[in-house]
Amino acid sequence: MSFNDQTLAHLKKLCKIECSPEEDRSILENLSRVLQYMKQLEEIDTENVQPCRHVLRSMLKNRMREDEVKDLLSRDKFLANASDQIGGMVRVPPVMKPQ
Amino acid sequence: MTLKRLHHLSAIELRDLFLQGEVSAVEIATYFLKRIQKHNKDLGAFLTPLEARALLKAEALDRKRSQNKPLGKMAAIPVAIKDNMHVNGEITTCASHFLVDYKAPFDSTASRLMEEEDAILIGKTNLDEFAMGSSNENSAFFPAHNPWNLKCVPGGSSGGSAAAVAARLAPIATGSDTGGSIRQPAGFCGIVGYKPTYGRVSRYGLVAFASSLDQIGPMTTNVADAALTMEVIGRYCTHDATSLDLPQESYLLSKELEPGTVIGVPWQFLQNLKPEVLENFQEAVESMKRLGAKIVDVDLDLLKYSIAVYYILATAEASTNLARFDGIRYGLRARQAKTLEEVYELSRQKGFGQEVKKRIMLGTYVLSSGFQDAYYKKAQKVRTLILEGFEKAFSKCDTIMMPIAPSAAFERGSISDPIEMYLQDIFTVPANLAGIPAISVPSGYDRRHMPLGIQFIGPQLCDVPVLQYAYAYEQATRHAKIPPLYVEDHK
Repeated sequence: MSFNDQTLAHLKKLCKIECSPEEDRSILENLSRVLQYMKQLEEIDTENVQPCRHVLRSMLKNRMREDEVKDLLSRDKFLANASDQIGGMVRVPPVMKPQ
Repeated sequence: MTLKRLHHLSAIELRDLFLQGEVSAVEIATYFLKRIQKHNKDLGAFLTPLEARALLKAEALDRKRSQNKPLGKMAAIPVAIKDNMHVNGEITTCASHFLVDYKAPFDSTASRLMEEEDAILIGKTNLDEFAMGSSNENSAFFPAHNPWNLKCVPGGSSGGSAAAVAARLAPIATGSDTGGSIRQPAGFCGIVGYKPTYGRVSRYGLVAFASSLDQIGPMTTNVADAALTMEVIGRYCTHDATSLDLPQESYLLSKELEPGTVIGVPWQFLQNLKPEVLENFQEAVESMKRLGAKIVDVDLDLLKYSIAVYYILATAEASTNLARFDGIRYGLRARQAKTLEEVYELSRQKGFGQEVKKRIMLGTYVLSSGFQDAYYKKAQKVRTLILEGFEKAFSKCDTIMMPIAPSAAFERGSISDPIEMYLQDIFTVPANLAGIPAISVPSGYDRRHMPLGIQFIGPQLCDVPVLQYAYAYEQATRHAKIPPLYVEDHK
């Protein structure tokens, strides 16, 4: 399947990104070119190859810890970076519309 | 008298002068802050100088010294921090409009460790937005320039750090390397750049781009300073689940190359090198021969696929990592958004630059149902083959030598094709895909007098040996110089 306007519109929805028409054109052109380039991987036989899940392989260990609440970041410090807040919480536009 | 030439000194020399009482920490901090003030307009290397923080730390260091209290390994060394690493209480922008006002509520482990060893954090450096780029042209604010020729790019994404160190506005800077973002700009600016083994340096407090590839490392004027920095930041950290739980290493270096050192060169993979780059690289290989190394040919032709693999995996990881920038909890929120959905869509439209949007979309595409097997899984499998390719190569040699980039620094605006830009990373990306350590060292200059660089690459965990090969090469060749525009002292 080729990468076209429809694919782009669908992707923008998945990524939750709006774009101007100029950006759309440039991104469409760019991505088509890049995806075309990536097709070269088809030349490689990967029939019995395991996907690489982690580069450290055997050195990688699961790090388990107790699930306990710690005070790592104070509410004030956290809220200092929020663009809108109310009563010690982050405020967002209404999610549900009044009937 | 000594004060006049502080920027000609290495970080270790600066520290020793301070420890010997020849110069105060305030004098050092003031000296480099003045250089930043004087040169940053032309260079664009720093986004935010940390003047108040630096002077406060310097005063504290002078007090400590006068009271004969113990001083750290990086005492009074000014260090610039790439602006995708958090320094508690300071702004972290990632060179993005999204994070213009974001004040870091905690320290990155690497910057904290350096501060604890008495380094003076002197400023936050410019980068390609969210570390996505190879030329610094993707900074949302202004591009950094190459100190060797201001019309040329400093490389990317740690271009601000490279320009800062090359112009001696700071003796050490940190970078982050996802596909070459430390080594390629180091090569373009004629300095040393080191990407450690994946997991050697904690990524805690580094704004994530592609978590399986990102690694923090030092950018310095010489190899010994890089080793010193590694000794401080190369430590296990409980805040990073992929941090290597290994004892701290000692990065003592010797000028001698260990007898019997075998260096692998993937000649076939390098067959299309530009004549100028090839000639320079061959000279570097000859230098290592003269030091007693044996050179063998290794087969790594598979690496020609690394760019395709990298841009699938890196963008896939970026698309998930950057989902957190939703305009809700921090960062930019579009004012005109009326609904929650609009908050996401419009904030991301306004906050992200085009390269970032493009990569998020590409990453989402290669992960989306119907395409995941053809792109993402395929790339993961080829990554396995690349890992195995390196393992096989390292069974024949101790280290692999390669040029750092297909050319020296290019002019700003001269590359518009995305693939041509991505191919800038063809020699650096493989080390990230395999999680192995690699260092960029200056190897001379091209016809335009722009710096060229070579790299030494080692097996996983061979961080100390890799620095060692680079040190022996550097001591034997000494190609690093201060760019002519920045040799003079500040007025």
